[in-house]
Amino acid sequence: MASDASSANPAKIQVLKDALYEEVRQHGSQTRLFTQKDLLDLDIIPNNNISLLIQVVQGLCDDKLLVATANPHTGLAWRWRSREDARKYTSLPDDETVMVYSIIDEAGADGIWNRTIKNRLNMHEAVVKNCIKYLETKGYIASMKNVEHPNKKMYIVANLKPSERATGGPWFTDGELDTAFVEELQAVVFEYIKTNSAYLSSQGQPGGRTRAPKKGTIRGGGAAALDGSGSDARGTKRSAADISNDDDVVVTPAPTSTTGSKSKSSHMIYLPMPPGYKKYPTVPEIAKFIQQSGITNNTTLTEADIQQLVDVLMYDGLVEPITVNRRRGYRVTRAMKQDTVPFHQRQKERETGIGLDKALRLGPEPPSSALTEMPCGRCPVFELCGEGGPVSPKTCVYMLEWLGLEAQVKVAVPAAMVSS
Amino acid sequence: MLVTKPAAELCSLLIDELHGELPSRIFSTLLNKGRSTLPQLAQYTAMTPRQLRHGIAVLIQHNLLYYHLEPGSELAFYEANIDHAYNLIRTGKILEMVDTSFGAPAKDVVQNLLLSGQTRISDLIAAYQGKMDQVNKATAHAASDDPFGPETNGVNGDSSPKKPGLPVKSTAQLNSVICRLVEAQLIDVVHTKTFESPQDILKTVEKEVIDKHFRGGVKGTKAKAELESLVAEGLRKVRDESKSLKRKLEQNGAASKRRKLFAGAGTANGGLDEEVDPLLDPKQVIRINYEKCLVDLRNRRLVQFATDVFGETTAYVYGILLKLLTKDLARCRPDPVMDSRKDDDDRQGISSVSTAQILDNLKTSVDLSLGMGKADRQQISSRAANKVHENPPKKKTLIEEAEVVGDASADEDEDGGSNDESDYDSDYKPSANGTNGTNGVNGLNGTNGAKVKFDDSAANKDRRLDRPTQLRQHLLLLAESPQRFVRHCGQEDWTVDFEPLMGALREAELDWMIENTSGQQGLRLVRILRAKGKLDEKALPNVALMRKSELQQKMLEMQTAGFVHVQEVPRDVKADVKKSFFLWYCDVNRSLDRLLDTSYKSMIHCIQVLDLLREKEKDVLATTKRTDVRGREKDTMRKEYYERYSRFLENERQLFSQVMRLDDLVSVLRDF
Repeated sequence: MASDASSANPAKIQVLKDALYEEVRQHGSQTRLFTQKDLLDLDIIPNNNISLLIQVVQGLCDDKLLVATANPHTGLAWRWRSREDARKYTSLPDDETVMVYSIIDEAGADGIWNRTIKNRLNMHEAVVKNCIKYLETKGYIASMKNVEHPNKKMYIVANLKPSERATGGPWFTDGELDTAFVEELQAVVFEYIKTNSAYLSSQGQPGGRTRAPKKGTIRGGGAAALDGSGSDARGTKRSAADISNDDDVVVTPAPTSTTGSKSKSSHMIYLPMPPGYKKYPTVPEIAKFIQQSGITNNTTLTEADIQQLVDVLMYDGLVEPITVNRRRGYRVTRAMKQDTVPFHQRQKERETGIGLDKALRLGPEPPSSALTEMPCGRCPVFELCGEGGPVSPKTCVYMLEWLGLEAQVKVAVPAAMVSS
Repeated sequence: MLVTKPAAELCSLLIDELHGELPSRIFSTLLNKGRSTLPQLAQYTAMTPRQLRHGIAVLIQHNLLYYHLEPGSELAFYEANIDHAYNLIRTGKILEMVDTSFGAPAKDVVQNLLLSGQTRISDLIAAYQGKMDQVNKATAHAASDDPFGPETNGVNGDSSPKKPGLPVKSTAQLNSVICRLVEAQLIDVVHTKTFESPQDILKTVEKEVIDKHFRGGVKGTKAKAELESLVAEGLRKVRDESKSLKRKLEQNGAASKRRKLFAGAGTANGGLDEEVDPLLDPKQVIRINYEKCLVDLRNRRLVQFATDVFGETTAYVYGILLKLLTKDLARCRPDPVMDSRKDDDDRQGISSVSTAQILDNLKTSVDLSLGMGKADRQQISSRAANKVHENPPKKKTLIEEAEVVGDASADEDEDGGSNDESDYDSDYKPSANGTNGTNGVNGLNGTNGAKVKFDDSAANKDRRLDRPTQLRQHLLLLAESPQRFVRHCGQEDWTVDFEPLMGALREAELDWMIENTSGQQGLRLVRILRAKGKLDEKALPNVALMRKSELQQKMLEMQTAGFVHVQEVPRDVKADVKKSFFLWYCDVNRSLDRLLDTSYKSMIHCIQVLDLLREKEKDVLATTKRTDVRGREKDTMRKEYYERYSRFLENERQLFSQVMRLDDLVSVLRDF
């Protein structure tokens, strides 16, 4: 046997190598694993001569045309590699570089962290560094960024595109979440849903006639009193009016404040659609709209991506899902409170200096919460505050400020309290 | 009501504000030490029995105490009634609510009742009689012939510079006003058991039942169930005692029926009612029924909520629906023991209201065509809109789930065939005179994405639907919303499932709070956690589309505020912190509890700051108390002093209105 193997003709082995390699390529892709039995069954090696097979496979491995892998299920197995890739290996100067390159190659589209390379190979850091430098200058590998580990320096084979997992999908640019892009797109999607799920009407606020019941409630507080004294009576009256007027106060300025720049929108208002409306926009429709509008010409957004955007809008409380006849559409919440001026126009107005006093946001302001309007609702030391404590309501300067009184009581200002 | 430290403190402060320091001190001692006898109280407070008796009398007069006298024992036990103490804060709101729905005279009566606590009817009449005599004399003197002063506050009239005019002009009118309030359950009768705490009543009833039916002891599950139902019945009987006056009035059938038809019609009818109303027993003692007041306040809050979501017209319709629906509803939250059975009287109060009933109660001045968009008939699926949900939703189902379930049961595909939607044609458009044609012309085509401007004024006349259909549209809109304002429980019947709806309102209230403190992104994160359950820190940024660093900061901020919570799950036994999972989650109930305590505490702060201001402006306030200054502050006081005074009044108003608004929040969180 031994003599038989050693006496094998190098030329013959070369022929067998070529034949085996071509045959393996015919039988599957680069990811397919071939076991020893698979290789023998290809009928290239005469008489199932195992030692000959070993020689041939060893030769191919030396040429980097076959890669050996140990698989727990099948034992030792091989997969093939294209001749160009193999040439890269053979062109490398030393073993270390080959090893580094092979590790990076194995990592595939996910890339690999340079620390992992070092640990895996147990090589000195300088050696690894040199190898990587050489490979980079040769153009075989490229550095990349992974969104999950933004601080790790990763490498990837140059001709591969980083995987979706590594780049984070369409929302990431250079490994960073592109918040500007996301926000812009959100605004577009929101405007689309708003204009298609609510009715733009010029009838304005339901006029004085419908207000009648409401006015009644305001009129009421004549002598409502907490303790029956006159001053409190007025206090209660004020509060009642405050409460029922709240919505008007907060919202009505929205359309009127812009009358200067856009008089035609002053009386426009969005109204909810009648019940059973079938055309609330769905995610596929929104995706189609985005695609046709060409806003995202260099990134392709799938329906799943748009769904993600719409979900975020839903979590923001700006839109709500509504199912009519199993058609899941989305509609804007609190339609009547919506701004009739499109968001992008507002943005432009801001650039020219109009409407800077109001925060730019999608959708209307939330109804004011009684708690957050007074200092206590936003106080960071609320838990500590109490009679006799380090901070107490009676020494609170923010309370006095809120009441429109200057802090006349000069006390040690609680240092921890941040001005709101 | 759970007595937490801030709640107890707040209630003592309220009593201090309204009834003075003595009752307040007794009350807070009772809260701190639990039920006590008079000698015990004397020991705790170091006050003389005489002082204590005075204080207790005031507290009992206003129903702020429970007492219990064991048969055979000499001393009564006193216990603080914290629910009623808290209700003091709602005085103004209740008055305002009574004013809008029953008119000024009713408000005046309620105000007197609130000020003087429970009162015998004869005393009330006497008080009014005295005042009427006074006014009559005054008007005779001044010869001024203007008895109409609906806004004047004639009763305590300390600071009203207007002409003295009484809202209640005769004892007969007073009688009828009380009758109406009794019928609305806003006033009920005081009886012996009113002053027993619920626990005491339960104990007594239980004892009675056992003595009567289970002499040999309660054995077996069947006997236990029977005992429970008997106890519940006994408790209901005690509770119904306070309604005895209402029942008596109801026996006077014709009058009450007619009055019900005109409920809410205002004071104009007051004169007509006089002859019909029976004279009330002058010995009867009456008081304000806060439980029923809360029901009405809840209706108002819900209407406000609906206004925010849909707009005023729809909310107005909703208000009418709620008013009709809750007319016989005695309390917001059914008692778990007493109201467990379905066939109870009170449960029947919340059955359903028909479209026709609502239509009858709508003001004719309200234009129902407002407040809702228009759409091409082809774009409307009336079948989906008119879907009937006969059964209330099961407890704790997520809104989304409920939607999906309802959907699966309705097997239909209407995109192709809109011909079967003949509902509107047959039932609600008896005169379909070319309505369809006009619809087609200026319908909204949402699909092309272009904004179309409509000339509503021109189109209005042609395409106006008839009033019942319009009403129906508003109701269906309410039913369609994810908050489930209304349940469409029969073709023409509507009802409200208060429990899930109030859950939605509570959550909305929390959301507004979060959005106001932590911004839109904070709200986003909380709602994601609410929808998805516990989430790892690493999974959150992908869902929320936020940068990791921003997200972490926001989460920490919200954790300190108590909106989100974190759970650490170690990966192995070593529990290495670096390797542990950190799961964020959001416990709505915990957040709400915390919000409730924060509200109490903020109210306390308001009242304390008010105390501070009073202390600071002591000299000014002392001046205004002088009889020669009182009522003529502006003329008699020096300018500088008057400015300080008016600024103080301004601040006082601001603080009290803030307390009221905080109470709105507390009501939603706790009572509704």
